[in-house]
Amino acid sequence: MDDYLIGVLSNIGVISFVALSAYLLLLTGEISFGQQAFFAIGAYAAGIATALWGWSLAAALVWGAAVSGGAALLVGVPTLRLHGLYFAIATLAFAEMVRILFELFRYQISIDGELIGPNGTDGFRNIRYIFDHNIDAFQFLLLIYSLLAAAMLGLLLLERSRLGVIFRMIGQDETLAELQGIPVARRKVLAAGIAGTLAGIGGGLYAHLTTYVEPRIFDIMLGVHSLAYGLIGGLGTAFGPLLGVLIDIGLLESIRALAGYRMIIFGGLVALLLIVRPRGLLDEMVVHKIGRGWRRVSLWARRSSLKPRGNSA
Amino acid sequence: MIDLVQNTLDGVMIGSSYGLLALGFTLIFGVMRRLDLAYGPSIMIGGYFGTVLYLYYGAGPLAVASAVVLGAVIAGIYVERLCFAPMKAGAAIASMVSSFAIWMQLEQAAILVLPRHTYPFPPLATVAPLEFGPFLVRVDHLIMLVCALALAAAVHLALYHTRFGLALRAIIGSPVAAHLVGINVRTAVLLTFAGASAVGGAAGFLVLAVDQQVTPMFGMWATLKGLIAMMIGGLGSVPGAVVGGLLLGIVEVNSQWYFGPQIRDLVAYVVLFAFLVVRPRGLLGRAPEPAMPPKA
Amino acid sequence: MGTAVKPETEGKQRLSDWRMAVKSATYVIATLAMLAPCGLENAHAQIRAKADVSCQPAEKLQYDCIIKLANARTSEPLSGLTLTVGADMPSMPAAHNMRPVKATEEQDKGTYRARIALEMYGDWALRLELSGTVRDRVVKLLRFESDRVGEATPAPGRHRH
Repeated sequence: MDDYLIGVLSNIGVISFVALSAYLLLLTGEISFGQQAFFAIGAYAAGIATALWGWSLAAALVWGAAVSGGAALLVGVPTLRLHGLYFAIATLAFAEMVRILFELFRYQISIDGELIGPNGTDGFRNIRYIFDHNIDAFQFLLLIYSLLAAAMLGLLLLERSRLGVIFRMIGQDETLAELQGIPVARRKVLAAGIAGTLAGIGGGLYAHLTTYVEPRIFDIMLGVHSLAYGLIGGLGTAFGPLLGVLIDIGLLESIRALAGYRMIIFGGLVALLLIVRPRGLLDEMVVHKIGRGWRRVSLWARRSSLKPRGNSA
Repeated sequence: MIDLVQNTLDGVMIGSSYGLLALGFTLIFGVMRRLDLAYGPSIMIGGYFGTVLYLYYGAGPLAVASAVVLGAVIAGIYVERLCFAPMKAGAAIASMVSSFAIWMQLEQAAILVLPRHTYPFPPLATVAPLEFGPFLVRVDHLIMLVCALALAAAVHLALYHTRFGLALRAIIGSPVAAHLVGINVRTAVLLTFAGASAVGGAAGFLVLAVDQQVTPMFGMWATLKGLIAMMIGGLGSVPGAVVGGLLLGIVEVNSQWYFGPQIRDLVAYVVLFAFLVVRPRGLLGRAPEPAMPPKA
Repeated sequence: MGTAVKPETEGKQRLSDWRMAVKSATYVIATLAMLAPCGLENAHAQIRAKADVSCQPAEKLQYDCIIKLANARTSEPLSGLTLTVGADMPSMPAAHNMRPVKATEEQDKGTYRARIALEMYGDWALRLELSGTVRDRVVKLLRFESDRVGEATPAPGRHRH
């Protein structure tokens, strides 16, 4: 596989984490423009762990996920009372605050005579773990997708579990959910925590993938994009945000011929798509129909294999 | 102390344009209950119209201002037709994301036509700043303040003393009821968009003329400032938008003076976040209802 | 999906949920554990590279870049490597990036030349990927304008716009 393709696929994998993060919150009915803050926190935390503290990649990723998850829980509480637009803008404000704080954050250690560490607006360079430890691009790609697969597994399980149903119930009508005896506030904070952790894992991977992060990367564009992926790909299933990322980055890469017009075409396509499909390509209706079709097929398969037995009475 | 007053003076003047931006935002939000993320970029398109006029035809400030307003209105109508009019009632998030997509589209279109980092804008005034005792007041800032206040007054007049304004307030109160009473909601929304874009265009022109340049980053900047000012002042409140803008301006200029530009931005967001957590309705807004219609 | 679940089935479902949660957690830990051995070898034997980049505008939005690669510790020029140059825009990491181009080595040992084509002016992070005898990556942030290329200092809290 050539390096360029590996690079693109790695990008798709990492960005999927933020997309899933925004998607999870969207399920509970909350729009978040701020998941990039947890992406950033995860990236910096994991980068500091490997580059400055000499931890292993695994430990660093867990640390990054924990810090961002914790931050998400902390932010989830004061914003509980907010809904809809107010919540969305609060997340936006929070994310920008985090970004500016990283612009002011300096933590440098001298290693082998060289200053390493986050340096405010100059960013955090030389997160060289995968080079220092001989991990080639393809191995890292495998790591990204293994973790993504594990996350997807978790989310798909969630969808079919009681907690997943609770999340969607809260998303549909909070008052009704409360009346059903669901501790809405606690579940929403839980959702925020899980979402933050997801974004944090993605951030840790991103920092090591690119070896260089700076606060500019984690701006509003990233946040609104993450939300858009879920909306484009579809909100009916955790595969939706992945599809959205694939379409965006995949399409962007392949329409290179029209390089200067990419955004114009893509922006227009998204706007048109959302007119016909406001809940995305794989929205709840489509997922339901696919599920129904699958059940019909498996029922038919079972019936056909049972026929002979039925005849021999 | 003198610094504080000087900064507050400057802040009020700069804040007046924030207030105008917030005003346009509020009008759109009021009738649509949705956020238009392409608001700033449409104003930027207007700005690019203006700079082309200035650069290639040497037009004066008034002509450039008209070009900016015209450009903003055209872009605004385009956004409305594509992102808001065709959406069904509950698809609020879809509208927002769609307007974001168009934001990207407009930004790239602008960069394609005018690829450089910055383009010049005619100044509002070239005379020396006025002195009032120990305080300095830039003449272009003063012009900005006067124009902004005049515009805000005009909007207020339109809203409260014209039939169209009455229809608008009816829609803001309840779109369904307005429709039942015979108001053509769709046309009114379109006209509101055009009007809000015009107001935004005027605000944009004032800011760009004071800065004497337009850059592709202007779109996002304008959207953010308008958004923050609107939320601080109170979602859906017209006087709130102006007040919010003034407050934001004062806070910003003082923060920048004492702590530098990064802290200035940080403080703006902290203030916004604090308001949202403690008093979501802002200074003058109504108590928050579910701002988004029931999910769909 | 929204039908009421009887208590016994709910209990069973909870148990199977737990089982699968444990399974996926083990899966994640196993994957990370697989990586551990990769980390333990050659932790210090890597050569670090440093790069000196200078670019000149050629045609519209195209630049000729001369890149000098050297050993970061000994300053010895690194020759015979495969150098690929990619570019990302810091403010939009996945979009706007340039398809990587291969650089060709010049007469001088350790000096490479590449022609890059960008989508727009502004700050770009050039990604110099080294492979061959030395595997490394160096990132250089530069501001590309129509008439010159200079250092890019990310502006702190950009002046109003």
